[in-house]
Amino acid sequence: MKKINPILKYVLTLISLFRSNIRDYGMYIALAVIFITFQVMTQGVFLGPINFTNLLNQTAYVAVLAVGMTLVIVTRQIDLSVGYLGAFLGAYVVVAVENQNWPVVIALLVGLLITIAVGFIKGFLIAKIKVPSFVVTLAGMFIFKGFLMNRTNNRTISTSNEFFNKLGIGYLTDNIVGQLNLLTFSIGVVVILFILIFSIQKRIKNTKLNIPVEIPEVFLTKLVFLIVMVLFIAYNLAIYRGISWLLMITVAVVVIYHIFTTQTVLGRRIYAVGGNPEAAELSGINVKAIIIIVFISMGILSLISGVMYASYVQNTSPNHGPFWELYAIAAAYIGGTSANGGVGKVVNAVIGSVVMMSLKNGMALSGVNANIEPIVLGTVLLLAVIFDIYTRNVRTIDLVGVYYANKHHHQELMEAKGNYAQAKTALSNAKKDGKNTLEYEYAVTSAQGIYNRVKEKIRNAKHEDFQGLVR
Amino acid sequence: MKNKILEMHNITKTFPGVRALDNVNLYVEEGEIHFIVGENGAGKSTLMKVLSGIYPSGSYSGDIVFQNHTKHFQNIKDSVDCGIIIINQELALFPDLSIYENIFVGHENGKSFVNWDETRRLAKYYLDMVGLKVDIYQLVGSLGVGKQQLIEIAKALSQNVKLLILDEPTAALNESDSENLLKLLVSLKSKGITSIMISHKLREVQKIADSLTVIRDGKVITRLTKDQINEQEIIRNMVGREIEDIFPKRPKYIDGPVVFQTVHLNAFSKEINRYVVNDSNISIRKGEVVGVAGLMGAGRTELAHTIFGNLDNYKLTGSVIVYDQKVNLKSPQDAIKHGIAYVSEDRKRDGLILAEDIGQNITITALQKISNMGFLNFINQAQHTEKYVKDLNIKTPTILQKVKNLSGGNQQKVQVGKWLFSEPKILILDEPTRGIDVGAKYEIYTIINQLVASGMSILLISSELPEIMGMCDRVYVIAEGVQTAEFKIEDATPEKILEKATL
Repeated sequence: MKKINPILKYVLTLISLFRSNIRDYGMYIALAVIFITFQVMTQGVFLGPINFTNLLNQTAYVAVLAVGMTLVIVTRQIDLSVGYLGAFLGAYVVVAVENQNWPVVIALLVGLLITIAVGFIKGFLIAKIKVPSFVVTLAGMFIFKGFLMNRTNNRTISTSNEFFNKLGIGYLTDNIVGQLNLLTFSIGVVVILFILIFSIQKRIKNTKLNIPVEIPEVFLTKLVFLIVMVLFIAYNLAIYRGISWLLMITVAVVVIYHIFTTQTVLGRRIYAVGGNPEAAELSGINVKAIIIIVFISMGILSLISGVMYASYVQNTSPNHGPFWELYAIAAAYIGGTSANGGVGKVVNAVIGSVVMMSLKNGMALSGVNANIEPIVLGTVLLLAVIFDIYTRNVRTIDLVGVYYANKHHHQELMEAKGNYAQAKTALSNAKKDGKNTLEYEYAVTSAQGIYNRVKEKIRNAKHEDFQGLVR
Repeated sequence: MKNKILEMHNITKTFPGVRALDNVNLYVEEGEIHFIVGENGAGKSTLMKVLSGIYPSGSYSGDIVFQNHTKHFQNIKDSVDCGIIIINQELALFPDLSIYENIFVGHENGKSFVNWDETRRLAKYYLDMVGLKVDIYQLVGSLGVGKQQLIEIAKALSQNVKLLILDEPTAALNESDSENLLKLLVSLKSKGITSIMISHKLREVQKIADSLTVIRDGKVITRLTKDQINEQEIIRNMVGREIEDIFPKRPKYIDGPVVFQTVHLNAFSKEINRYVVNDSNISIRKGEVVGVAGLMGAGRTELAHTIFGNLDNYKLTGSVIVYDQKVNLKSPQDAIKHGIAYVSEDRKRDGLILAEDIGQNITITALQKISNMGFLNFINQAQHTEKYVKDLNIKTPTILQKVKNLSGGNQQKVQVGKWLFSEPKILILDEPTRGIDVGAKYEIYTIINQLVASGMSILLISSELPEIMGMCDRVYVIAEGVQTAEFKIEDATPEKILEKATL
């Protein structure tokens, strides 16, 4: 057999990679489509430096909530209270600082104590008393709305403290719009260096441990793609005002939670509890404690999110809070978190929040009727979950292998196909003649079985199988 | 020759990694009682799921011919409409509904409004037919398993059953209930109802079978008719090898010190309001394999959970002594700390995290071994995993394989590996070979032998008497939570154990 053309091989390998891992890439493809669509619809404004910076700042509070919500959903729970809880905590801190003249740190610390206590109570009711989390947090939603109304006294209170200004609308460095922000750009370069070192290190480690690694072409393609993305983001931010504190905090939260969920014992236990609570319990994991911890973590992130939002809009108001939790839940689901528990990545939930907020931002920017927006958001959420279900059992495919197998088994395939067609004609003839068709039906199904088996064999072929045969 | 009511031709069904059914050919004649026998995991239940449309047409290859028509059942409703009704081991009844409601669930009497008078009249009629004398208003949950079984059959009759399939109906029944059921099947036969029965109990087979098919490793081995049926012949076909080949040779046990003991241990279940463990006094010696035999529902698993500290619904009295020290096992964590491990009965339900990979599953019992200051060391994890994959001969392309993609036998080995990782001194194995093929069973038995040789002690819970007889040094028999007998293995016979298990 002749060796496959290297360019065709490269393309086929990339397509195989996409098709085999469509679940992981689906969201990025969706995001790319959304970006390009709005970029066209807004004549280049959408991805321009100003709007791009705005988009990330708008996303921040949802992204932080979505990170916590992912863990809640991973442990097979739900938290409907985080919207009003976040808004209440934001109001708590703002009122303490602005009206009661507390130092910011004290206000934040008291807020932290409150939210830890609340998280503990929620977790305790759910894990120990076994009240469904839907009910507990639905009650929480009402209660915190009341707290919010009381705390703000039903008035909008503006923020004036420097802390809120810095956090909500401030950037790492002050610089003149239009000039390249050096700090931001250097951070971008450092990130790229990190990516390079980490991916190469991981590849070497996996090779040592006999864990299969991607072929070099794919590895390099991925790397180049990642670097281009980071460069784009860094450049886009750098030529406006640089990195905002909102973005900085969000990234910090995501990095901490990513490490927490993938690298620590506690993270592993959280996913084990979500994957199979009974097995986790019998494996010596304190399931109840884990669930309480997850709700406390959700509470802490609600505090961060609430303060971020109040700072961003520079006020606190009794109208804050509705739908935040639902945005967070939607972001987690769009990010591929499984409602059955045990599966979900915090980074993907953040991408999910970017998808949501891009839609909101893009539609507003391109002048789409605002009444349409929720309909689109709902539809996208639904499509994302449908996609997830449809791709649940995607089998890996190796198109290079299929290419070789098609050549190698050509004869066999044609034969089986012919036999199958023949058996079918024989059956229809027998039907016409009014004969007993039982025997013919057996012949058809057995020929079909053989044909299917050959097709399966080709479908499942791996290119390694043909190494000896290819010259 | 009589009419064949059912023929199954060349049925092949594969699951990832296993061919569960391999070209199975089987037929049943009209009005007979046909038995399907085979070891656990031979493919009997899979075959019945194919027949009843639980696995839809297209997910397997081959033909089903029922009353001379090829059938392509897409779901269980299709097969029920044809009069093929399957009664599974786990009964599909609603405990909080009354008997008459249960009988007509899913095919209610009346087009849009239910005709309750007619429903109750018919319910009584069908109850009479199965010989059950109870009030139709009673809740099904308040009846015993034997009576529930009869209600399932009444339900089948009300659906105009032509072919009744019973999947191990007597496994959970006591002697007299089993006897009743067999009588009922014979009387249904006289009314023209054909039955297929899956059973392990060869005594039943000899009593009422008109014919039988033996299945082994997904293949039909032979079909025997009434006059050909005898026990030796069935066993030889079922097992396909001599008993010495099923169980690896083990040396005779030499007494060691007692390492584990329960003293007047009781567990009261608040849920079902009775004692599930009733005055248990067991002891295990170093390097010994101790069996626990008993029927389904006798309290074997409950005993294991009690010892293992999984007590959410239990109230406990009595003591557990590990290495001469009275211990208080309030949670699985405590049990693990004292060197006890529990390989659970249902590996999918409460043993493994199916969506995670082999390494994640194996290391979960002792994450402190692969972590430093709470951070995981993945190289360490991979090395440990690699070791268990090799030692236990887990067949997998890579150690990153998700456990759900492994075959039953390999999943079970992962479960064993996960507990060996916690370095236990006492290993509780609850039905360790359920649903895995003969080859994998042999490997599990070999592992058991290696473990006891290295000084571990094993409590082996099993519903398969050959397994108890072949692997244990000593056996306790329990029935309804009560420990009814203790035998040295050389004094035990399957008959003696069964007698004590059915009190």
